[in-house]
This record gives sequence, structure tokens and C-alpha cells, in this order.
Amino acid sequence: MKKFFALGLVRGLSWEIIGTALGIGFVTLVRLLIGLPAWKAEPAVVFGALLGALFFLVGVGAVDDWFKWAVGRETGEHFDDSHPGWRRYFGASLDHKVIGIQYLVLSLILMSVGGLFALIFRTELAEVQMQFLTLNQYNTLMSLHGMVMIVSILLGIAAYMNYLVPLLIGARDMAFPRLNAFSFWIAVPAGLILLSSLFLGGFDTGWTGYPPLSARAPLGMQMFFLGVSLAGFSSIFGGLNILATVIRLRAPGMTPFKMPIFVWAALATSLISLTATQLIGLSFQMVMLQRLFGMGFFDPAKGGNPVLFQHLFWFYSHPAVYVFVLPGLGLISELLPVFVRKPLFGYRWVAMSSLGIALVGFLVWGHHMFTSGMAEYLRVPFMYSTLLVAVPTGVKFFSWVGTVWRGKITFETPMLFLLASIVVFLLGGLTGPPNATVSTDLHLHDTYYIVGHFHDTMFGGYIFPFFAALYFWFPKMTGKRLNERLGQLQFWLITPSFVVLSLWMMRVGLLGMRRRIADYDAALGFEASHLVMTVAGFLIGLSLIVFFINVWYSLKKGPPAIGNLWNSRSPEWQVASPMPVHNYDQPFEVVGEPYDYGLPGSQYIRFKGEK
Amino acid sequence: MPASPEKSSALRMGLLIFLGLAVLTALEFAMAILLAFWQLLLLVSLFKAGLVLYYYMHVSRLFEADQDADHESYAYRLATNRIGLWLFLVSDAFIFGGLLISRINLLGLTRPELNQVLGLSVTSVLLISSFFMNRAETAMAHGDRRQFIRGIGVTLFLGMLFLAGVVGVEWQIAAFGPGDGVAGAIFYAMTGFHAFHVLTGVIFLMVVLRNGLRGRYSVEKHWAVEACAVYWHFVDVVWIFFYPALYLIGTVL
Amino acid sequence: MKHLITVAILVVLGTLGVHAGLGTLGLLPEQASLQAIAVDKLLDVHLWLISFLFSLIVMTLAYSLAVFRRRKGETGEGAHMEGNTTLEIFWTMIPLLAVVFLAFIGAASLGEIRRIDPSALQVNVLAGQWYWQYQYPEYGIVSTELYLPVDRQVNLQMTSNDVIHSFWVPEFRVKQDLVPGQTTELRVTPNMVGEFRVLCAELCGTSHAYMESAVFVVTEEDFAAWVESQQSTAEVDPLLLGQQLVQRYGCTACHSIDGSQRTGPTWAGVFESVIPLADGTTIIADREYLIQSIINPNLHIVEGYNPNVMPSFASVLDQTQVEAIASYLETLK
Ligand code: HEA
Ligand code: HEA
Ligand code: HEC
Ligand code: CUA
Ligand SMILES: [Cu+2]
Repeated sequence: MKKFFALGLVRGLSWEIIGTALGIGFVTLVRLLIGLPAWKAEPAVVFGALLGALFFLVGVGAVDDWFKWAVGRETGEHFDDSHPGWRRYFGASLDHKVIGIQYLVLSLILMSVGGLFALIFRTELAEVQMQFLTLNQYNTLMSLHGMVMIVSILLGIAAYMNYLVPLLIGARDMAFPRLNAFSFWIAVPAGLILLSSLFLGGFDTGWTGYPPLSARAPLGMQMFFLGVSLAGFSSIFGGLNILATVIRLRAPGMTPFKMPIFVWAALATSLISLTATQLIGLSFQMVMLQRLFGMGFFDPAKGGNPVLFQHLFWFYSHPAVYVFVLPGLGLISELLPVFVRKPLFGYRWVAMSSLGIALVGFLVWGHHMFTSGMAEYLRVPFMYSTLLVAVPTGVKFFSWVGTVWRGKITFETPMLFLLASIVVFLLGGLTGPPNATVSTDLHLHDTYYIVGHFHDTMFGGYIFPFFAALYFWFPKMTGKRLNERLGQLQFWLITPSFVVLSLWMMRVGLLGMRRRIADYDAALGFEASHLVMTVAGFLIGLSLIVFFINVWYSLKKGPPAIGNLWNSRSPEWQVASPMPVHNYDQPFEVVGEPYDYGLPGSQYIRFKGEK
Repeated sequence: MPASPEKSSALRMGLLIFLGLAVLTALEFAMAILLAFWQLLLLVSLFKAGLVLYYYMHVSRLFEADQDADHESYAYRLATNRIGLWLFLVSDAFIFGGLLISRINLLGLTRPELNQVLGLSVTSVLLISSFFMNRAETAMAHGDRRQFIRGIGVTLFLGMLFLAGVVGVEWQIAAFGPGDGVAGAIFYAMTGFHAFHVLTGVIFLMVVLRNGLRGRYSVEKHWAVEACAVYWHFVDVVWIFFYPALYLIGTVL
Repeated sequence: MKHLITVAILVVLGTLGVHAGLGTLGLLPEQASLQAIAVDKLLDVHLWLISFLFSLIVMTLAYSLAVFRRRKGETGEGAHMEGNTTLEIFWTMIPLLAVVFLAFIGAASLGEIRRIDPSALQVNVLAGQWYWQYQYPEYGIVSTELYLPVDRQVNLQMTSNDVIHSFWVPEFRVKQDLVPGQTTELRVTPNMVGEFRVLCAELCGTSHAYMESAVFVVTEEDFAAWVESQQSTAEVDPLLLGQQLVQRYGCTACHSIDGSQRTGPTWAGVFESVIPLADGTTIIADREYLIQSIINPNLHIVEGYNPNVMPSFASVLDQTQVEAIASYLETLK
């Protein structure tokens, strides 16, 4: 029992409960003192949740050192490892590898929750008319599915960036380990608050939360806004850390064009999350303020402008879609050479294309607003800028094809997932331009065609690379190999069912199926298609269960990972698995190109003291 | 302790920049009364921000960072910390940028009716505080602890005065509340977000003052002082844009 | 070289195959407006592009996998190719030109569907949670169904009463949001007689899924007849009118007449009852109160309910309609 309460997570959660109660009590007291009716749920709960999140951080111990610094005490480089073994994953650790795995687990949990929501509302959609959900329950589940999945993606990429970037550039840790722990731990209360909206009346706005609808939605809306704002901080500080790490902590000799390509992707991604994220936070906070204090930013009755919200929101949320996929695309470029035994084709172009996508991505947000009533003359420039993104993205595709061409290709599970990523992301990418040319978008906007488009991009650009990387690096993280058979089974379950799911989405969308509707007209004749989609969704869910079984089984019984499993040139595979606590006992120096597979005698890195 | 020539020249520079900023602020105010020309105001603001960025916040130090030294050394970590802080400021700037854009979108060339005397006063208070912050930091960098403590103390006092002026007076005497129309909303949002940053700066100053009094900083190691100064000046830069945006441009609603 | 030629042939076949396959699927609803023709034309360009690029990449990839895979017992690495600058420039420039061209025809297509016909029929569209209302200022008609003469452009001037909605008729292909506090415009030229449905395409709360209304595209004569019939509608009984109105404007989505609980308070027995208000006072629900509750719902908030939930109907209903509803409410026991 005592041991249980010694876990940081448990302490954090208990503190969070206390904090929330205090916050609610405080607001009620203040209202009482200034003579307002004492109990009003909204301000009390919002303040309580916020205070609860802060208390969580204190309780879990993520901010201890900062307090110590503030009172002028020195702290050691690392927390002393009083919790060896699995226990350290449940408390504040400063080790980027531990934090990376913590992110990974949290991301998988949220993915399962979000996916489960999808399965629930998909079951409702399988037949016309409402069967077991109310309209509002549908809307809440659908909206939460979107946002929980997105938060799960943000955590998932943070997992890989945290785990891999220091290893790939030969650093001992991130530039700011405490900030790193803070970024992770704030995501925990953020996720809890986000999910709590389910129990506080839900909300009905979709993940985009457009006012004026969001200004009148139930209390759950506030939890959605607050949770996402907090998750935003995680993303901002995570990005900051990656940038500083990459700028400052590269191994000697690692000039920009000798960095592993994933590091370029992480850099481009972090540039976006560092800057743009503030604007989704701001836009959400503005609605929160409008609800709490009647500040009429988006309220036409007070002279506000609902379309302004959409500009602020999409200024982040478009670049954010590149946050979702750039790391994934980086992983494809990073891993493909290992399985085709050939250098990455056109390394520099691929590196620059990540930056190109990130930068052009800042200029295209208006393409989500072609029908919104924004100034009409803006539509054409946004169309041009949007289509421009196809160019650097194309560079990546052609480079992958060039890499595979005349390689010596093998088909282990990670490679299968990589190939599926390429094809699925291609489907997603190619269905982008029809949305970008304004006149066609006027038909496609807010239909299942869009839903199909973005599931394709997100699966191709995130989910499939995510699993490829997990199969690839799981042995590095845990010292155990994942079972190859179960891996193949998962692959053959998820890929065809996903392709069917997304193609059917696009088809019904073109034919007139609106998105975000709980029920559809039987006269449209979509019932069979929806049934197909629901079944496909369940098969995807099944594939995830296979995956979880694989993880569980391999952790117990999997063969130990010995040596350079994939025969990779990357530095982390030159040392033992799991990674030693302080990464590289011997610092290394970069002496060659990262992907010179097939060039006899070439070397990427040399450890100190080694010839 | 006789002041070293570098120190006095650094202090002189600080004073000069302060005078420049003060003149520009006066000019700005006069200009807003005499000719309603927002482009000019924008230029002046940009110029003022440039001065602060370069002379008070030492943005150029970022580019002096040495790439090859020992990654664990204090100097190397100091440079990394600087980069971290500046990245944070870049990120933060996007919030304020978003607020400015919202203000332009919602109000255009109109502005809420506000007390001009008060506006100019709090602006001056913040500006003077920046001067003292710079003095304090310069003093610490040259090992003059007395002057450092005095400087921090004055900055802290002025910071609180600013807060009192905006939150304690301006918010109370304003003819409108946050719920009264979109101009009120924007006014309270902009000043509120800014005041929150001033508040965190004030707390930061208190921490620095406390640790300074206990002698925890030295000429070589005073990153906290530097960080506090850079942050404080950043908050000032934000106000350099917010002040004209709220008080000067356009016509009163 | 042999490889390249095979791949090229595969890509050509793939392109034709994919495009033909897409063509047979029947991907789009009927084409019922001039705008639809322009949209579909552009969409077909996209389909060709998609077919080609998809085949290009997938065929090359598949060919590599099949031909260059590591055979049993084979060892050794792949060919050492680091890149090829000419090739890179080539596959940067070609897509660049392609997208600039695409954007160019995109703009042309937009121009076409936005072409303004000065003799267009104006219809003012007002949407709210969850109803559509169409006003024909030329004829002084207000209707909840949209009647349009065929082959004549209609200029829809649209606004919303509460949250954002979006006007979409799939057969017309175009959509436009309705934003409270602003007027947006959409122009359509229906070119096919028939009955279609207006769908609300922007999530607007609980009953978004059901926010539909009928569109009838009719011949010029039928339209004139419809206008006639609407204008001559004799004075109806106010009670009946009130009953129709509360159905039509979705009041009953939030208010029950049988005492059951919905988003808003029930109407059963509301007239002349004592209503507890959120500010602690009470008020008698006289006729004046009922009318105020409809045109200015935030004036008195019933205890246990939130302000801003019920939209104001001041700009939706005219004086007589409000009176009719009030009369109807008075009869509910
Ligand atoms: C993971 C994320 C991701 C990615 C990578 C993309 C990529 C792209 N997206 Fe997508 N998009 C989303 C996620 C993503 N999108 C989401 C989540 C939404 C919905 C949000 C919501 O409303 O809820 C959305 C919605 C969305 C819209 C708004 C639709 C609407 O609501 O009306 C538009 C419009 O332009 C658009 C366009 C594009 C384009 C042009 C690309 C391009 O980047 C694609 C570029 C890639 C290719 C084109 C393929 C490869 C290139 C070549 C082979 C080279 C040659 C190509 C040509 C010459 C064309 N997307
Ligand atoms: C990465 C992002 C992501 C992912 C992976 C998914 C995955 C899925 N999505 Fe997602 N979806 C979005 C992001 C995502 N979605 C977004 C952003 C929206 C827009 C929301 C909006 O409009 O606001 C959306 C909207 C959306 C809609 C449109 C809803 C509407 O407009 O009304 C639909 C409809 O079919 C759908 C279906 C699915 C399905 C069936 C899956 C399946 O792939 C899910 C597969 C199942 C799982 C992943 C669960 C597996 C777990 C278990 C079975 C439990 C096991 C647990 C343990 C062992 C602990 N999604
Ligand atoms: C979106 C939900 C919603 C819709 C649609 C709606 N109302 Fe309401 N209505 C409410 C709520 C909530 C209240 C209680 C809060 C208040 O007093 O404003 C209310 C209160 C009322 C009252 C006062 C009832 C009482 O018990 O005191 C009347 C009368 C009324 N509405 C009439 C109408 C009419 C007529 C319409 C349609 C033309 C309508 N409402 C449409 C939600 C709605
Ligand atoms: Cu109206 Cu959806
Ligand atoms: Cu986008």
C-alpha cells in the first residue's frame, strides 16, 4: 500500500483530486463573498480543473526542481534513481528514454480510447435511424474521437522524437530534461480533463469547436477547450526542447546534412508546434472567456466575428496536420534504406522537403474555410498555396521510389508497414488537391470525402509509420523482439480493412453523405456502405488487439534482442539493447554519411577510442 | 569599488537607449494626437522594439554560441539556455500576435475610449522599469552587487506599479466591462494576457531579488538574472505594440 | 532500360484502368445545375491526375518489390545510388508546373460557377436551429420549402439566426455557410426539373442530422402558379397557424406539450402559471411574457435553464406569427 502511494502517478492523481476540490470550493467561496449566487457550475469547474492540473504536476514531482532552484538550491543532473525497474515509468523521470516510453504508452491508451469511441458511433451508423445513442451522445463521441485521436498523435510523435532524437544525434539527454518531464506530465491531466467532458454534459461541435455553437454547448465544452489547451503546452515545450537539442547537442562532426533524416523531420515538426500551437490555445481560450465573462469576441450580437475564430483555429490546425505526418514521413525515409539496403535517394532534397512542407504549411489555412464566408478574394491565393504543398510532398514520394528501385528488398513486419504507409499516404495526399481547388471543394467540403481524405493521410502518415517504427525499435526499447507472426497478422488485418474503410468513406461522401451526422436518410441508399465501414472499423480494432497481445506476449516470452538486429548503420544499433542508462558510454564522432548502404568500407560514426 | 570603463560605458549605453525610447514614446503620443496615421505609429513601434531587442535583450548573443566546446561545460549550457529562452519568447510572441490580429480584425481603425493620461503613465512606468532592469543586469555582469540589488528592487516596484495602474485603476475606471461589446472584450483580453505576463515577471523578479540578497549570483554565473532581464524586456516589447494598438491608433468608438 | 520500359507500360495501363474503374462506380449524384457541370469537369481532371500519379508511384513500387526483392540465399547490398540532381530538379519542376496549371484551371472554374446573372431571382435564406426559411422579396412570400424556376439563376442571400449552418444541395454541387451577423451569397442555376433536398452541411448542434428541407425545381409556369397560390393563401385560423409554426421552426425539438422534459421547459400548462426565474424572482406567464420569451428569450431566464440556449426569433417571425404562437400556447393545458 505504501509502495503504491509512492508511485508518482498515484500521488499526482490524489493531488489532482484535492486541487480540483479546492478550486471548486474557492470559486464558490469568492462568489459567496462578492454576493453572487454561490453555486454556478461553469466557473467553479473550470477553475477547479485548472487548479487540479497544476496540483497534479506538483504531486507527481514534475516541478520539484524548479521550486528548488527558485529558493536557490542546486539540484543534481538526474533524479536519483530510487525507483528502479518498471516503477520509474510511473513517476517523474528525467531520462528521455523513459519519458519517450511514457509518451508512447499514454499515446496508445488514448488511441484505444479514441478508437473505441469510433467503434461505438460507427455501430450506431451501421443502420439508419438512432438505435442506442442519443443525438447528443453521438456528437460527443464523434467530437471526442477526433480530438482524443489527435492528442494521441501529438503524444505519439513526441514519444518517437523524445526517444530517438538524442540517440540519433549522440546526445546524453534532451537539452532541458526537466522541461521534458513537465511536457509529458502535463499531458496526463490534459487527457483526463479532455475525457471528463464526457461526464459533464458532453458537447456537440466536432473537434473544431466553432463558435457560436461552442459558446452555447454544455459544460463539457469547457473541459474540451481546457484539456486541449493544456495538451498544447505539452506540444509547445516538447517542440522547444527538440529544437534546442538538435541545435546544440549534436555529436562532433554531425553537420546538418549528416543528421539522420528523422532529425530533420523532428526539426520541421517542432518549428510548427513551437509557434502555431499558441493560436489554437488562444482561440480556445477566447471562447472560454466568452463563456465565462461574456466577452463577445465571436458573438455577433456584441459585434464579434465568428469567422475570426476559424482563422485563428486553422492557423494552427492546418500546420498541425503536418505535425502529425512529418515525423511519420521522416520515419519512412529513415527506415526504408535499412530494408532495401540502399542509400536514401536524394537525402538533401528529402531533408529540405520537410522544411518546405512545414513553411508552406503556414500559408494555407484558408483552404478549410472556402465556404465559411471569409473574404472572397482570399480563396484563390489559398488555393495556390495549398496546391504548392504537393511539390515538396512529391519529392518525398519520388525519393522513396528511387530508394526502393534496385534495392535488395526484404519484407519484415516494419517494412510491410512502411510500404502500406507509402500507398495509404499517397491515397490521402492525392485526394487533397480536389479539396484545394475551390469549386470542387464546394461540393466536397463537410462530406465523408473529407473524412476519407484525412483518415488516409493520418493512417498513412502516422498510424502505419508508428507501427513500423514500433516493430523496428521495440527491441531497442525493451530488449525483447516482437513476434513476427503476430506482426504479420496485425498487418494483414489492418491494411485491407483500412483501405476499404477509407475508400468507402470517400465514395459515400462524393454521393452526398454529410459528415458529423448521427443519422442519415435511408433514401440515399448508403446503408450497405455504412455496414461495410463499420465492419472494417471493427477489423482495425481487432488488429490492435492482436498488437496488444503481441506486446504482452513478447515482453514475457519474446526472444532477447541481441546485437544489430536489422543490420542498421544508425548509432543506437551499435550498442547493446535495451539502451544503456546514459546512452553512449563512449561518445562518438560522425565520420561519414548516414545511409551509405552498399558502399563497402564506409562508416557513419566512430566511437572514441575506436579505430 | 571604482567602476571599470566597460561597466560605465555599458551603463551609459543603457541610459542612452532609454532616453531614445522615451523620446520616441513622447513622439508617438504627440503624433497620435496631431495626425492619425497608423503606418507611422507602426514604424515607431518597430523601431522601439528593435532598440530593446538589440540593446536590452542582447539578441546578438544568440549567434555567438560556440558549437564545439564541451557540452557539459557551464558556458556551453548557458548558451543552450539562452536559445531555449528565446525559443520560448518566439512561441509566446505568437499569442500576442494573435491578439493583435484579433484586435485589428474586430475593431479595425477604431479603439475603445480610455484614459489617455493613465495610459501614458503606465507606459512610462514600464519603460523606466526596463531601464532599471538593464542597469541591474549590467551591474551584476560587472560584479556590483549593491547596484544590482537596487536596480532589481526598483524594477520590481515599478512592475507592481504597472500592474496596479492597469488592473487596479484602468480596469476599474473604464467605462465598460469585459462583457460590453467586442471592444471591451478585446481590451480586457489584451491587457489581461499582458498583465499575466507582467505578474509572472514580477514573481521572477522576486525570486531573483531573494537569491541576489543571499549572494547566489556571481559575475560568471548569473543566468537567472539575465533570463529575468530578457523576459522582462520581452514583456516591455509586447507593450510597445499594445500601447499604440489600444490607446493611439484610429478613432475612438 | 528494360525495367523502365516495362514500368512505363504498367503505368499507362494502370492509369487507364484506374480511371475507367472510377468511371464505372457512379461517384456523383445527378447533375442538376450549371455549376455542377463546371465542378464535375474539374473533378474529372483531378480523377485523371489521381489515376496517373497513383499508378506512377504504386506501379513503380510494386515492380521494384517484385523484381528487386531479395531472393532466397541472396546476400549483399543494393546498388549504391545516392541521388541524381537532374532527376530531382525534374520531379520538382514538373509537379510545380502541374499544380500551377491546376490552380489556374481551378480559378477559371471558380470564375465560372460564380458568374453573376443580373436577372437572377433573389431569395433570402434564413437558417436557425433547425429549420430553413426562404423569403422571396419580389413576391412577398415566405416559405419553408424552396421553389426554384428551372434555367434561371437564383441569388441566395443567406444568414443565420443562431449558429453557423451550411446550405448544400448535392445535386447542385455547391455549398455556402450561413453565418450569424453576416450575409453570405450563393448563386445556383438549376437546369433540371425535379425534387431535391437542402442539407445543412455544418454541424449545428443536436438535430443537425435532420436539418433538411425540400427544393423543388419547376418549370417557369409551375413556378408562377406556386407564387400565385402562396400569395393568395387566405387568412388562416391563428391557432392552427401557431401550431404549424411551432412545428416548422423546430420549437417542439426543445419544448414538449405533454409535460415531458426536453432542452427547454414544457409548454403544458405554462399560460398563467407562476414561473420561477433564474435570478430568484418569479413571474406570471401572461401573454406578454410568452411573447417576450419568443422574441427576447434572454430577458427572463427560467430557473434551471441556461441563457443563450433558446435562440431569439425576433427576426424570423413577424408580429402576427408571434401572436399566433402565443394564442396557441395559451390553449395548452
Ligand atoms: C495528416 C494530415 C493531413 C495531410 C498530410 C493533409 C494533406 C493535404 N490536405 Fe488535408 N486535411 C486533413 C489532414 C491532412 N491533410 C484533415 C484532418 C482535414 C479535415 C479537418 C476537418 O475539417 O476536420 C483536412 C482537410 C483538407 C481540406 C479542407 C477540406 C474541407 O473541409 O473542405 C483541404 C483543402 O484544400 C485539404 C487539402 C490537403 C492537401 C492539398 C494536402 C497536401 O499536403 C497533399 C500533398 C500530397 C500529394 C499531392 C501526393 C503526393 C504528391 C505527388 C505524387 C506529386 C505530384 C502531385 C501533383 C502534381 C498534384 N485537406
Ligand atoms: C489518427 C487519427 C484518427 C484515427 C486513427 C481514426 C480512426 C478511426 N476513425 Fe476517425 N476521425 C478522426 C481521426 C482519426 N480517426 C478525426 C480527427 C475525425 C473528425 C472528427 C470531427 O469531425 O470532429 C474523425 C472522424 C471519424 C468519422 C466521421 C464521424 C462523423 O463525421 O460523424 C468516422 C466515421 O466513420 C471515423 C471512423 C474511424 C474509425 C472506424 C477508425 C478506426 O480506425 C478505429 C480503430 C479502432 C481502434 C483504434 C480501437 C482499438 C482498441 C480497442 C479495440 C480496445 C483495446 C484496448 C485495450 C486492449 C486496452 N472517424
Ligand atoms: C434550442 C432549444 C430551443 C428552441 C429551438 C426553442 N426554445 Fe423556447 N426555450 C428554450 C429554453 C432552454 C428555455 C428556458 C430558458 C429561457 O427562459 O430562455 C425556453 C423558454 C421558452 C419559453 C418560456 C417558457 C416558460 O416555461 O417560461 C417560451 C414561451 C418559449 N421558449 C417558446 C419557444 C418558441 C415559440 C419556440 C419556437 C419558435 C422556441 N421556444 C424554440 C429552448 C428552446
Ligand atoms: Cu444546421 Cu447543421
Ligand atoms: Cu489543411
